[in-house]
Amino acid sequence: MSVVAGAGPVSGNDDTAWFFEGTARGEFLLQRCPQGHWNRPQAARCAECDSTELVPEPASGRGRLISWAVVHPRPGTDSPPPPSVPAIVELDEGPWWWTILVGTDPAVLRAGMELALAFERPEGSETVPVWTVAGG
Amino acid sequence: MTRTNHSRRAVIAGLGLTEMGPVYGRSSASLAEEAVRLAVADAGLAMTSVDGLLTSAGISGGVGLGLQRDLGLRDLRLLSEMQGFGSTAAGMVQYASMAVEAGMAETVACVFADAPLRPGGSAQEVYSRGRPGSSRGGSPPPSGWGGLLASAGVNGANTMYALAARRHMERFGTTTEDLAAVAVAQRAWAAGNPRAQYREPMTVEDHHRSRWIAEPFRKLDCCLVSNGGVAVIVTTAERAASLARPPVHVLGWAQCHPGRSLERNPDFGLVTGAARSGPEALAMAGVGRSDIEVVELYDCYTFTVLVSLEDYGFCAKGEGGAFVSSGATAPGGTLRLNTGGGQLSAYYMWGMTPLSEAVIQVRGEGGERQVHPHDLALVSGNGGILDHHATLILGSGPV
Repeated sequence: MSVVAGAGPVSGNDDTAWFFEGTARGEFLLQRCPQGHWNRPQAARCAECDSTELVPEPASGRGRLISWAVVHPRPGTDSPPPPSVPAIVELDEGPWWWTILVGTDPAVLRAGMELALAFERPEGSETVPVWTVAGG
Repeated sequence: MTRTNHSRRAVIAGLGLTEMGPVYGRSSASLAEEAVRLAVADAGLAMTSVDGLLTSAGISGGVGLGLQRDLGLRDLRLLSEMQGFGSTAAGMVQYASMAVEAGMAETVACVFADAPLRPGGSAQEVYSRGRPGSSRGGSPPPSGWGGLLASAGVNGANTMYALAARRHMERFGTTTEDLAAVAVAQRAWAAGNPRAQYREPMTVEDHHRSRWIAEPFRKLDCCLVSNGGVAVIVTTAERAASLARPPVHVLGWAQCHPGRSLERNPDFGLVTGAARSGPEALAMAGVGRSDIEVVELYDCYTFTVLVSLEDYGFCAKGEGGAFVSSGATAPGGTLRLNTGGGQLSAYYMWGMTPLSEAVIQVRGEGGERQVHPHDLALVSGNGGILDHHATLILGSGPV
């Protein structure tokens, strides 16, 4: 398995504090409206019914790979960092999530692969949701 | 849109291009000023004739309302800074056309300029905003939802377009050889363009040997970066009849902004806004796609060309790869596409690259690379991550 980079650090702010409280507990929080529609965490209104009464609820942590990129470091250093694999995941709940794949050989990736949620806590960072190939 | 008064119909009467490429020691504002002065002179006009000005800044900024003062323009009847990223240039021509057709202005200069390159700097540095966890000189990590995206390395155009391209490849079987075919064909066109930054021949093997940037993109899948400025003058057909250059008639136009960035989007990487703006612009012009003789598509990446070809209907959806790999878009092929080398090989002036080449071709001033016939051209602008589209249909005369 080739080595790929993990997530970088991120700070919380007023918009994201509730989300990172969830990741610190090992939960990836989406938002649900009173009719049960699932929305991405940054949504202010339900994408289906326009409700503003969105309540955080943990996602299952299951999803499928929509697309990915393998981003290579700029050349020129003696010990270049490994490539990183930003990706788009279709969550089982419906929303798409732009994230990073870790612990994965990019050569095995195919659209539609089952993915599983994991968490990383880079130094000086909030806990970050990341994704791996399920059973990989 | 209802267009009835033929004498007031919009034309492009002037084109100004500064030196473009690694042009150092010039501000973007100075390049913008020169481009407008060149375009006004090209049209055979005096600067005092200009009564409208639309400006478009690139990534280095610095081009805006102050250009009026730099050009000494008084009592303008139209002035605004425009922003639709790579769709801005075509958009400016659309707004300028509406202004002159409505009688709001008579002669509108539309200008883009940028100067992001510095001596010794790299083109990639200019547009890539770093990798996950990249150092920011001891500053705190990024915050907010954008900070979370940055922590995953989901930032910068290279990465976002790579995600789009990979989805197309997975869905339709598009290959890296197909992407290479776009780059190779445009380099062959660039050989005939004296303004092109890269004119030496390129092979598929050259493409494959260039280093990975963000897979599936290699370096030769990515546009270059240029300093420079381009301006066009939009006026009425009546006014242009007595001017210096063959008028390029603005026959049809449309925009489409899908508005689904970073959301669940079944079209992501597969269908762009050009699928809507293309047919609408053709309908406005009263022509069919098969009537188009010159095609100038926005080409920030090889993939952008491929998916745009499908969306405009020059090949079937999903068959863009096979179409470009057949050689259809290379010189001597069936479709005259990006005939000056585009942003991949000639110069990166955002939407002004396809627009300027279309004006040159419709006028018949393409020299070695001039195509025949050249009476009807389609110009496509694309901005953001396939988020903003603007289409123009240009012609040598009214339809």
